[in-house]
Amino acid sequence: MRLYSLKSRWRGLILFLAVAGPGIITSNVDNDAGGIATYSIAGSYYGYSLLWSLVPIMVALVIIQEMSARMGVVTGKGLSDLIRERFGVRITVYLLLAVVLTNFGNVIAEFAGVASSLEIFHIPKLLSVPLAAVVVWLLVVKGTYRSVEKVFLFACLFYVTYIISGFLADPDWKVIGRSLVRPEFDLSPGKLGMLVGLVGTTIAPWMQFYLQAAVVEKNIAAKDYKLTLVDVTVGSLVVTVVAGFIVLTCAATLHQAGTKVQTAADAALALEPLAGEYCSLLFAFGLLNASLFAASILPLSTAFVVCEGMGWEVGVNKKFSEAPEFYGLYSLLIFLGAAAVLLPGIPLFAVMYVSQIVNGLVLPVILVIMLVLINDRKLMGRYANGRIYNGFAWAIGLGLIALSLLYIGTLVWA
Amino acid sequence: MNKEMQSSGLQMFLFFSELAGHKVVDHTGKPVGEMQDLRVRLGDPYPRVTALLMKRRRTKGSLSLDWSEVRSLNGDIIHLKEGTEAKLTAQEVRHDELLLRQDLLDKQVVDTHGARIERVNDVHLLVVRSDLHIVHVDIGIRGILRRLGWLRAVDALTDWLFAYQLREKMVSWKYVQPLAAGLMKQNLKLNVKLQTLREIHPSDLADILEDLDQETRKRIFQSLDLHTAAETLEEVDRKLQVSLLESAPVEVASDILEEMAPDEATDLLADLPEEQQQKLIQTMEAPYREQLEELLRFKEGTAGSIMTTDWISLEESQTIGEAIAAFKQTTHPLETVAYIYVTDRDGRLKGVLTLRHLLICARDEVLSSLMNTRLVSVRPEDNVDEVVEIFKKYKFLAVPVVNPENKLSGIITLQDVVEPE
Repeated sequence: MRLYSLKSRWRGLILFLAVAGPGIITSNVDNDAGGIATYSIAGSYYGYSLLWSLVPIMVALVIIQEMSARMGVVTGKGLSDLIRERFGVRITVYLLLAVVLTNFGNVIAEFAGVASSLEIFHIPKLLSVPLAAVVVWLLVVKGTYRSVEKVFLFACLFYVTYIISGFLADPDWKVIGRSLVRPEFDLSPGKLGMLVGLVGTTIAPWMQFYLQAAVVEKNIAAKDYKLTLVDVTVGSLVVTVVAGFIVLTCAATLHQAGTKVQTAADAALALEPLAGEYCSLLFAFGLLNASLFAASILPLSTAFVVCEGMGWEVGVNKKFSEAPEFYGLYSLLIFLGAAAVLLPGIPLFAVMYVSQIVNGLVLPVILVIMLVLINDRKLMGRYANGRIYNGFAWAIGLGLIALSLLYIGTLVWA
Repeated sequence: MNKEMQSSGLQMFLFFSELAGHKVVDHTGKPVGEMQDLRVRLGDPYPRVTALLMKRRRTKGSLSLDWSEVRSLNGDIIHLKEGTEAKLTAQEVRHDELLLRQDLLDKQVVDTHGARIERVNDVHLLVVRSDLHIVHVDIGIRGILRRLGWLRAVDALTDWLFAYQLREKMVSWKYVQPLAAGLMKQNLKLNVKLQTLREIHPSDLADILEDLDQETRKRIFQSLDLHTAAETLEEVDRKLQVSLLESAPVEVASDILEEMAPDEATDLLADLPEEQQQKLIQTMEAPYREQLEELLRFKEGTAGSIMTTDWISLEESQTIGEAIAAFKQTTHPLETVAYIYVTDRDGRLKGVLTLRHLLICARDEVLSSLMNTRLVSVRPEDNVDEVVEIFKKYKFLAVPVVNPENKLSGIITLQDVVEPE
């Protein structure tokens, strides 16, 4: 009997993975430590009042991810490759510098996630973080990552607990409905920053590079693009639904109780309606998985993107002496990122949140560049953006630029 | 620095980035535009710049001017001869020409000597009298820094700190295969430049193809001669094999399959959709067709599916001299030359000789008296695992595959067993 259930569960896992394409994987990595922190903070501080923002964010995410995937399928090249060939070395170098710094912030956030999740088990960060850094580094360098990826992906089912907990917490659906239909917003720096953070964590700049690279690696022919489209759309929908439920659940529990998330232990209380006294365990597990998953992809993807753009040798199947820049950058990101978290007194949740705001501020730049590329008919041929679709895409781009400027403005004036 | 070109015999090097964007002036010194790109005629080992492309204020697009109208390069200013105004034309690029900035700079090229893909950071030019030639492409960090304008600062810094300067990394033009889209679209049979790819070892070429985007990959593959194409195809990853073969016209694809080792060709065919498999097989010439159809009948994971039909066998009444002659007559490279199988008149396997026999025995000795008759053979329907066991146990280099009548239907080499499916 036990054996049987184990076996059927195993089959289910295999089936799920067979379906999971680059889009679904990218979306699940997207719900990383920074994501969980930002959504939790949004729900606990502002209740249901920012829930509406996830609807336009979802639309933007679908459109942006779709463009990344389409560029990957049609050109067969990575985003930084296209940027280098179209815009030349100068723009590429400065842009990649910005991307590396932004991603470095995200790497720090992932290790902050490791530290804060294991603090729940009273494991000091001086032990957990260096250990996690070494494990992640070895996973990739030793080439075992591919097999572990499936475990990470499976553990992402953890997000379902937020959905269940959200229902159990008996939220005020009327208020939620009203907030979705008639959004209220004021221009306080706190709320604006939160909004930029929500955008930045859901539509992270690094995701566009990662997704396009993953699509390229799959070698999908342009005529088979439809399958990828489904994969990317489903992935984008799933990620925003999960995000919505994290915000909603935190609003219904933490905000209701007047708790403002400062630590993982605070955030874990959102799962109390489902898991009772075990909520911290459950949350710690989920946060740890999300952090490790992203920590193994993010530095790798960053090193890949930089080397591709600069024309340096890439690949985990190469020796160190064959690809020194690749391994050097990869290792530096991991070990410096981990070291930053070890600074005494560093506020872990604040670090995770701030890194997502930076994501949000860098995103418009990447988006504008993507739009220029995808409208280049020499590059995309008949797969360039259509006129109406392009209108939507540019509207999103301009909206994001306006939001970023507004936020920077309030920071400066205030 | 004075770069007077007319002083004959003077040779000097300069980088494209040192010229790009700089002023172009007429004979009176009046600025007429900004140098944007250089057009180069391919074909020579160190191709010559044939035209200058410049941009003018308030004019859209760029204007082209024959390089012979350039009087001198003075510092970083390009001086034109008198009366060039009338000779400015709209840009047009011939099929054997490329533009340095558009087709080369920041793009990927294949370094055929190092057998790898590199990105071009800068182009190194040589001034010989009044001509400008491409000599190297810069693929190093110095090229990037030069274009960013940081080279001097970085040099000063590393020199001050470590008494060290970053090294130049260049590839000589004779080893450079550009991959620019425009260049690839031309009739590839005429594209002399692509021929250099032939000098790359097929397994390196396979690695390069795997790293390129689909479009470029297909174009390069289609430019290869049948033999190189077949050898390269054997080396690439299975998924790519299928997509590359599908990209070639049926007649070409079937020719390539004929060139491939029969067992490799069979494996590849087995991965194709039924309909396409049939189409390809029907297009092949009779002997190859029959051979492959035979091989295709065997299920995956059996000895028959990995065996090759490429071997040398002789009758027992023949002599060593005849065996050597048989070797000499075989023009294509055999998968293994370690063993010579000996059969009776009806093709039934009787024994085996090794290469050693051919080397040390007298030419008139008869095979039946020399051959080893204690044979280990397998059946086509045997499992691959059993075959592996035989290789492990007996340390053979090849094992014969026989049908129920003990007739030789193929051989399996050690290589076939070692290769991952």
